[in-house]
Amino acid sequence: MSENWVRACATDDIDEEDVIRFDHDGQTFAVYNTPSGFYATHGMCTHEEQHLEDGLVIDDVIECPLHQGRFHIPTGEAKGAPVCVNLKTYPVRVDGEDIYINTAG
Amino acid sequence: MADYIATNAASSGVKLDKKLVKQLSRRSDRPGLIYTAQWLVLLALTGTAVWMALGTWWVIPAMLAYGTVLTVPSYSMSHECAHGTAFRTRWLNETMLWISSLLYFEEPYHRRFSHASHHTYTWMEGKDSQMPFDTPMGLKEWFLEVTGIGLFIYESPLYIRNALGRFSDEVRRYTPESELPKLKWGARACLAIYGSLAAVVLAGYWWPVIFILIPRLVGGPIMLLFTLIQHVEMQENTLDLRDSTRSFRTNWLGRFLYMNMNNHIEHHLYPMVPFHQLPELNKAVKDQLPEPDPGFFRTNIEVFWVVLKRSLRLGTKAPSIRQAPHMIAERGAKAERITKGYV
Ligand code: FES
Repeated sequence: MSENWVRACATDDIDEEDVIRFDHDGQTFAVYNTPSGFYATHGMCTHEEQHLEDGLVIDDVIECPLHQGRFHIPTGEAKGAPVCVNLKTYPVRVDGEDIYINTAG
Repeated sequence: MADYIATNAASSGVKLDKKLVKQLSRRSDRPGLIYTAQWLVLLALTGTAVWMALGTWWVIPAMLAYGTVLTVPSYSMSHECAHGTAFRTRWLNETMLWISSLLYFEEPYHRRFSHASHHTYTWMEGKDSQMPFDTPMGLKEWFLEVTGIGLFIYESPLYIRNALGRFSDEVRRYTPESELPKLKWGARACLAIYGSLAAVVLAGYWWPVIFILIPRLVGGPIMLLFTLIQHVEMQENTLDLRDSTRSFRTNWLGRFLYMNMNNHIEHHLYPMVPFHQLPELNKAVKDQLPEPDPGFFRTNIEVFWVVLKRSLRLGTKAPSIRQAPHMIAERGAKAERITKGYV
C-alpha cells in the first residue's frame, strides 16, 4: 500500500464531536474528532457537492449540511438517504499533538 | 462541479458562528415526542368531536378542526422527517416519515429526494422539483394549488409510474440510480396501504372515509395555504434565499401546526437546525434577514388579491407583503421574468 503521510492539523484544532476541512495537493479532506477517535474522509459529500466541514458530527456519524445525508465516519459507509455512495476514508495517525493523514488512502 | 449551486447560508451572504449553528443543530428525541403526543391529543379531541357531531350540522366545524389538525402537521412532520431532524433516533424519524407522508399523499422516498432538489435549487425554474406552478402566479394556478387538485394530478400518475418502475426524466434527475428500486417498492407499499383502506370501505366500514379521506380533503387547502406562501411572489432563480423565500409571523397555533416553519428563510439557510430550535435560530440571524411578513391570514389574503388582480391585468402591488420587483406590474402590464445570479 502506498503511503503519503501529511500533517493535517493539531489535535487541539478540532473540538470534540466536530469536523474541520483540510486541503492538500488539490484534494479536500474532512478530519474528525469523534468519541471513538480521530478520523479522516474525503471532504465532499457524495450526494451533491457539499463540504462536510459544515456538517454535524453526532457520535460516529457525520450529517451533511445540505440535505442531512449521513455517513458512518470510521468506515465512510452511507447511512441515510439521500446519500447512497460511501465516503472514501483515509488512515489517520496521531503523533504527539499532531494529526497526520495518509492521503494515498 | 459544474452543476453545484450552494443554496445555503454562504450563498446568501448570511453569517453565523459555526459553534452556534452546531449548538442549534443538536438532536434530541424529546421535542419530537412531545410534539407527537400533543398532536395525538388534538387528534383525539377533534376526532371525538367529529364522531359526536355525525348527523348534525356541527359536523362541519368539527371536521374543519379535525381536518386541519390531521393534515397540516402531517405535512410538517413529513417535511421534518424527510430532513431527518424531527428525532435523534433514526427509526423514530423513519417511522414518522412513513405515517405522515402517507397522510400527506407522497411516497416517503420520493418525498425525501424531491425535497433535496428543492433545497439544492430553491425556486429555480426547471430545477426545483417542488416548484409546483409557473410564476408569476395566475388565478388558475392558485385554484389548482390551493384546492389540492394540482397535487392530486401530479402525485397520482407519479405513484403509478414509480410503482411500475417507469420513472420520469424528472424523477431520474434528482434520484440516484441505485435508489430507484426503493422508490418503486415505496410506491407499491403506499398503493397497497391505500388499496387496503379502500377495501375496508368496500367491506362496509366507513371510518377510513370519515377519519382519513374527508378530513384530508378538508384540511388540504389549509396545509397548501401554508406551503403556498413560502415562495410565492418571491424572486425566482436566485442564489440568495432572502430574495426567493418568505418568513412570516403567525400565532401559537400556526407555529404549532406548521412546526415553526414560518421561519422559512432560516430553515433554508440552515436545514440542519430542527424545528424546535427555529425560533432561537431566528433570534440569532434576524438582523441579517428581512422583516417577516404579516400573519398567515393577511399574507394569504394579499397573495390572493395580487393573483386575482394579475389575472384581471390590474396593478399587482401588494399592500404590505414582500414581492420581487418584477412581480409588481402596472395596470394592464404583464409581469416579466427576471433571473438573477442563476448559473
Ligand atoms: S449534498 Fe450531502 S446529503 Fe445532499
